[in-house]
Amino acid sequence: MSSSFEINSLQIKSLTIMRQQTPLLSLNETIIGGDVLTIMGPSGSGKSTLLNWLTGMLPKEFQADGQLYLNGENITQVVSYRRNIGLLFQDALLFSHLSVAGNIAFAMPKGDSKTRAIKINQALSDVGLAGLENRQPESLSGGQQARVALLRVLLSQPKAILLDEPFSKLDSQLRQETRQLVFEQIRQHQLPVIMVTHDESDAIAANGKVLHLKTPQQDI
Amino acid sequence: MSHNLTSNSLKNRPLKDETKLLDKLFSTVVKFSPKLLIAILILPVLGGLLGVLLPAFGWLPALDKTQFGLQGFQQLVQTPGIAQMISLSFFSSIVSGLLAFVITLLLLANYFDSPWLARIQRLLGPILVIPHAAAAIAIAFLITPSGMIARLLSPWLTGWQSPTDWLLPHDPYGISIIMGLTLKELPFLLLMTLSAIAQPELSIKLRAQYRVALSLGYYPITAFFKAVLPNIYPLMRLPMLAILAYASASVEMPLILGPNTPPTLAVAIMNWFHDVDLSLRIKASAGAILQLFITLSVLFTWWLLEKLSQAISSKSLSNGQRTYGDVFWSKVINIFTLLLIGFIALALLGMVFWSFAGFWNFPLAVPEQWVMVHWQSALLQVQTPIINSLAIGLVATSIALILTLLTLEFEKQNGAQLSHFSSVIIYLPLMIPSIAFLFGLVWLQEAVHSKATFINVALAHLLFVLPYVFLSLATSYRLLDSRYAQVAASLGASPIKIFLQLSLPQLLMPIMMASALGLAISFSQYLPTLLVGGGRLNTVTTEAVSLANGASRRTSAVYALIQMLLPAIAFSLIWLMSMQKNRQKAQVKHNNKTARYITKVNR
Repeated sequence: MSSSFEINSLQIKSLTIMRQQTPLLSLNETIIGGDVLTIMGPSGSGKSTLLNWLTGMLPKEFQADGQLYLNGENITQVVSYRRNIGLLFQDALLFSHLSVAGNIAFAMPKGDSKTRAIKINQALSDVGLAGLENRQPESLSGGQQARVALLRVLLSQPKAILLDEPFSKLDSQLRQETRQLVFEQIRQHQLPVIMVTHDESDAIAANGKVLHLKTPQQDI
Repeated sequence: MSHNLTSNSLKNRPLKDETKLLDKLFSTVVKFSPKLLIAILILPVLGGLLGVLLPAFGWLPALDKTQFGLQGFQQLVQTPGIAQMISLSFFSSIVSGLLAFVITLLLLANYFDSPWLARIQRLLGPILVIPHAAAAIAIAFLITPSGMIARLLSPWLTGWQSPTDWLLPHDPYGISIIMGLTLKELPFLLLMTLSAIAQPELSIKLRAQYRVALSLGYYPITAFFKAVLPNIYPLMRLPMLAILAYASASVEMPLILGPNTPPTLAVAIMNWFHDVDLSLRIKASAGAILQLFITLSVLFTWWLLEKLSQAISSKSLSNGQRTYGDVFWSKVINIFTLLLIGFIALALLGMVFWSFAGFWNFPLAVPEQWVMVHWQSALLQVQTPIINSLAIGLVATSIALILTLLTLEFEKQNGAQLSHFSSVIIYLPLMIPSIAFLFGLVWLQEAVHSKATFINVALAHLLFVLPYVFLSLATSYRLLDSRYAQVAASLGASPIKIFLQLSLPQLLMPIMMASALGLAISFSQYLPTLLVGGGRLNTVTTEAVSLANGASRRTSAVYALIQMLLPAIAFSLIWLMSMQKNRQKAQVKHNNKTARYITKVNR
């Protein structure tokens, strides 16, 4: 249990990820709640491998050295479903068997169903989606789906958030709006964020530290 | 460049009348093959149903009965134990279906994102092609009081020095039938589900949503049930219904594992049809109609169960609960999976032991004496049945292959998949209990005085081989990159040339796979061989079933093993071929790499 005045933080301590004994990337970073660490690099540079390590889903062919601290607690060995790290992908990945409200309720902690419903209504109208509770996810536009996916992550009360190229599937107008909304909401919740992207404008909008990963062992 | 191409293709375009005729013939054949395929499936089934419907209501000219009436149904109702027969058929199919379904879900849930799922798939896969009769014999040997389980547990745990007199198999409650059916249905359902969710786009989406659920704090098993299952159940429904329909009317399993007095309805119907008293045929036909209703009510019950569980679970899907004792259940499933695999391995091992056993006193777990005599004497007698099995299987599979390939070619040429109606028809012989239409089919064949036993049996097998061959080939054919055919056509290749020299070679492995499957399905057919062949055509399967309940356990074990070996040989050949092909591919790749390296160095 973290007390209310403690600042959230995500700390990567002397991490090295290797594939078959060849180092892929090394990292040593601390992200304070409300800050965004942007990670950029060409495909194959290990961006998604890093995210997999952070969520505890590193495939077998990789080995990792180093520790991950969330709010001062070492979670390097904790299984992914007990890490409290929320994930936002480029696809909204809403569950098609649940309504919009059902998707958000799925993420919320267990509790009184009336309170949960009120919270969902509130959250939806906060992002301009009031009244869409009972719609099927497929019937929403891409931007609306992205916002529901954001609410789903935020209402699961994560302690940190990872963004995996979250805006790359949206067109530029929508991209700006959604991006603004995401960063605004995340700052409000004072969560540490790691964002992986290959779009320069995402990095500028994040207004935080930017790390460039290089493709290892490219001689040419 | 493009100018060159066109002029070339014009030059190569066949102008001779002979080739033109061939092209025309091919296009006609292709055009008619879907209709022929549908006709081959639908006519015997409908004709067969008519052939039991008429006698069921008293119309049987062969016995000079041309008055419609209900006496068949009256006789049926008055049969002693009829209620027990019905409930045995109904409950053994529902319970075994439910068990297979639940076990499939537990395996999927526990190993969804683990390499163990693929391993379990490989372990259970071979069971899919073991004929029902052989599987039933193996299970009978396992659970009988002098079987492997009792031997392993005696005397240290049970204290038994000689076999107890428990009625296993053949127990009156159908527990043995349920065990047998569950064990055969489980791999089918699991593999059908896995292949359905392996479709590239769906698989990526499901795994990503599963990861979303995990990242939201859901424990793995709960994540599967709440986030994955609702999306894959629609894909499991059809195989599930096929299992239930089959189980409610199957004959081999209840014949070998079920009680005799009374047996399941399907077995009783078969006995009535085979009775020397021909007047029992009217009662048997009425029974076949009753069997149809039982199968329908089993399917309806499943539908009700589905709706019920949907209604109960819909609220809890999004109630936010992250775990329902996942850690405990995961351990339970691990232990259960081990027991299940052990159970199957023990059943197979027991059968191998029996086939070589000389003296083997209870409760020793291993025979005291190993002999070859059972195999030697069986191999002397089994030659004709093996040749029959192979001949029927090859004929049925070849016809099925040709029809399937031509129909799929028709789809490709017309750029449209079969109509919804046609794709349902393909499942028809799998959904309608074979005992209900096969007798009508025999009666029809008698009516047209068809004496060609072999062709009749092969055509009856075709009814069951065709759906599987079609299902197994359709996906690969539809996934073929059509740009190859376009390029070939632009180079002046005729449709028949594209079909024979491009599509077929590209599909070599799927075609071989479908052939092996078709052969395996044909090898395992019991009822069509027995009924349509009128007992005059013995295959390994009919021999194995008739030996299972009478002859020595050792001979029976040999026949069951031969029954398993036939499809196993077919599949091993395919596997060897694919290994060979992969090796060639790897060799080419390696050569390319070396070549590139050499060019690099030289540069």
